[in-house]
Amino acid sequence: MSKDEEFMPKILAFLCNWCSYAGADLAGTSRLKYPPSILPIRVMCSSRVDPLFIIKAYLGGADGVLVAGCHPGDCHYEKGNYYTRRRFVMLKEVVKGLGLEPERIRLSWISASEGNKYVEVTTEFTEKIKKLGKNSAKNKIFL
Amino acid sequence: MSKPKDNLKSNGAVISAKTGTKESIINFLKKAMDKGVFDAVLVPMRVPAGDSFVYVLIKDKSLLKDVFPLPPVMSVQGAKAVSSVTRLGKGNMKIAAVMRPCETRATVELTKLGQTDLENITLISMDCPGVLPISDFLDDPNKGMKLFDDAAKKWDDKLMRPVCQICDKSSMVAGDIHIGTLGAKKDTFFIISNSQKGNDVLEKLAITLKENIDGWRAKVKNISEEKQKKRKKAHKDLKSEIGGLDNLLDTFSQCINCHNCMKVCPICYCRLCYFDSDKVKHPSEDYLQRAESKGSIRFLPDTLLFQTGRMMHMSYSCVSCGACEDACPVSIPVAQIFSMIADETQGLFDYVSGRDVEEPLPLIAYKEEELHEMEDAND
Repeated sequence: MSKDEEFMPKILAFLCNWCSYAGADLAGTSRLKYPPSILPIRVMCSSRVDPLFIIKAYLGGADGVLVAGCHPGDCHYEKGNYYTRRRFVMLKEVVKGLGLEPERIRLSWISASEGNKYVEVTTEFTEKIKKLGKNSAKNKIFL
Repeated sequence: MSKPKDNLKSNGAVISAKTGTKESIINFLKKAMDKGVFDAVLVPMRVPAGDSFVYVLIKDKSLLKDVFPLPPVMSVQGAKAVSSVTRLGKGNMKIAAVMRPCETRATVELTKLGQTDLENITLISMDCPGVLPISDFLDDPNKGMKLFDDAAKKWDDKLMRPVCQICDKSSMVAGDIHIGTLGAKKDTFFIISNSQKGNDVLEKLAITLKENIDGWRAKVKNISEEKQKKRKKAHKDLKSEIGGLDNLLDTFSQCINCHNCMKVCPICYCRLCYFDSDKVKHPSEDYLQRAESKGSIRFLPDTLLFQTGRMMHMSYSCVSCGACEDACPVSIPVAQIFSMIADETQGLFDYVSGRDVEEPLPLIAYKEEELHEMEDAND
């Protein structure tokens, strides 16, 4: 495969305002390198992410969806990320139950000081999605 | 996860039903109204045309003679009726609501969601043999009545809705009082209390709970184990049939976007569903963009998003009552699919919808140490 044809996935990343978005910002200001596959969306809390957003992104053709928030116990709103975790596990179960691709969604905790972790997570996730290939929902016209 | 307490009392009462179970239940309700235990009864009644059943709130006890505590179809989900009566407050009348177990369970879920007030409601459930599909019943209501009566007597489910055929909770006691017909001797049935409220009601009616109900328990256990096996197999078969994006699209491509499944769903209480809101109405540029990226898009769009979205929003409370499937004009096996997904999502949290009103909804509860395998999972 030539360089032009190399598949660069589109990954939607819901980043919480207080930790993960700041972590991504730190990665940027520290001039760390991470893949251009990530399309960040800032949300006030990871628990603002309705599982519907994720499934909508998936059916809309996003190759991957990342949800990132503060580490458990560090939520700016004290317990938002605990709810996120439960919703996320339920979402994954539904996706699995319907025979869709749970590998394309990921939950990670990235704090404001973890620019490195942001780079690790996005790189690792991008590599995995590259292996999985394009989301086949992209071409389904009857979706 | 906290295990729910088995608060079913070990004993019940045996009630003589020489004139038939239905008449005896009606007598029980009448007696309770006579004694002022209930001021009104919410119970299904056949409509004059004979082709449907609706819930009626009966104040005049002479009308009780016409009620059908166990109608052959579920035209209205009872939880919706209870919620309509009490959503704006409990009122000052004591009401008995007579329903099927899936309806009491949905009522319990709606209570957790703040859509009913059960303080003055006594939920009375009974062993359920299932219901006929509404469309089958409408073909010939009188034949339907007969078929249902025969099937209910023999506890034969082959004419019932598919989702009833795989219901393993057809005798689950979620309300205050349960009427058990299974395992009872000829011309009798059991009355079982499941709460203090149930005890109080029965005490006022001088019904003592002293008899052994092991016969009922054994029979119920038997049936529910058998159904559980059937349910697992049905879900497995269904999964191989609808699993995967292509099969899912095939399954839901007939959807006409009527949203009937959501409108009849007892759990879908939102006054404005996301999928009916302006949030799903986009400017034409958006559609053109989507058409451009794929070549074309279908209209009305997002049918699969609607179904999966609904699963995310209510599957943890789904009681597999089958109302959605009855309402589907294009016969998509919605209830079977939802029951499959619901078993999985509820299983994650060891949750059973409608089991106990004290059990918190899984998505509004959490533990600090749990589900760590989900975090940073790169599988």
